[in-house]
Amino acid sequence: MPAEDEFDKLWRRIKEVERSIREYVEDEFRRALEDVRNELRSINRMLMPSWSHEGYLRPLYTVKDVGRAYIIYIDLPKVDEGTIDVRFRNNLVMIRAKLKEGLKISSWSGRGGEVKFHEYREVIELPVRIDPSKVRVNVKRSRVQIVVHK
Amino acid sequence: MCVEVYREEFLGEFRFVEYRPFRLEKPAYAVVALPDAGLVGVIGAWHIVKSLGLKEVGGIDSYSFLPPVIVVSNKEIKLPVRIFAKDDLLLIYSEFMLPQAGMVQLSRILLNYVERKGVEYVILMSGIPIQNRFEVEKLRTYYITTSPKASELLKDIEAIPFENGYLVGPYALLLKESVKSRLDSIMIFTESFLEFPDPEASARNIEVFSKITGKSIDVKDLLEQAEVIRIRARDTMKNVVRNLAQMRKEYEYTPPLHI
Repeated sequence: MPAEDEFDKLWRRIKEVERSIREYVEDEFRRALEDVRNELRSINRMLMPSWSHEGYLRPLYTVKDVGRAYIIYIDLPKVDEGTIDVRFRNNLVMIRAKLKEGLKISSWSGRGGEVKFHEYREVIELPVRIDPSKVRVNVKRSRVQIVVHK
Repeated sequence: MCVEVYREEFLGEFRFVEYRPFRLEKPAYAVVALPDAGLVGVIGAWHIVKSLGLKEVGGIDSYSFLPPVIVVSNKEIKLPVRIFAKDDLLLIYSEFMLPQAGMVQLSRILLNYVERKGVEYVILMSGIPIQNRFEVEKLRTYYITTSPKASELLKDIEAIPFENGYLVGPYALLLKESVKSRLDSIMIFTESFLEFPDPEASARNIEVFSKITGKSIDVKDLLEQAEVIRIRARDTMKNVVRNLAQMRKEYEYTPPLHI
């Protein structure tokens, strides 16, 4: 085999190795970035009060990846189930729901002044773009299950 | 206002304080309620405190393992881990979750403390998370005991012996330490949510607790107030979930490889 062919072969091999290293590093970097993002999001969620002076409560929720779908569970105690409003935009799930009756936090802790809560509000981010035609929403005993098919 | 200290004791990194002298009738029971799945233990324990009129007799603190926090209750400054007692019942209650190292030490020290207080049976109540809790309405209650003497108390009681599986978290440590200290302990746990407060599961545990101890505790009020409790417990639950994830609580969903 001529030396030029040998050199081309070696050069192609180097390029292949370089590409796979680059892809590996990019992949790892993307994953690490996603981990940091998730960690920051979770710290942010932890530090964010679960209620706002504007008169709304933030519900507890959890997102499970079950392979074919993401399942979101939202805990909405004291909710008026007829008012649960779930909307989707890109990869966001937006929930609003009215409480059966106004609630005052001051009667529990002495804090919060005269703030009265009338509704729940939350925005949940999913890692995929949501197709609303592939979403199922169930409500049971003031808890909501949203199945978002991938 | 600060409550008076009757007795103070340093055990490891923990400070035990008693606000007044107390003696337990025999046979004495101790309930240890710590945050875990669905806050089932602490919600249930608080209902027991209210229903039986338990008095706050002491508290536990630690500068190493607990956040720099005080509890203000009816204008009085109390320690973060609270000790209640009445007649034959001692109840230790915390809404704060300790890091794993602290939990190991506290489990050992707590059981030593209750033993010295003359407690005969330790009752641990918690939730066991199930993935389909959203659908399930009739909750099953399981139990584990550390001795035949403790198992005797569960005769004719509507609870299923927990046969195979993993338990993860503070109660797993308390059970391990109970075995080590040869204490007669009973763990009762009802199917529950992991990430949402679950007063319905607490009510089920209390029904079993009532039968074991012969104490009549009505759970009607707890079930009626369930939605309010779920709202009030949101922030505590949020903080606990993070710690449970660090303890690898999801192992409880795993079936053991070999039985």
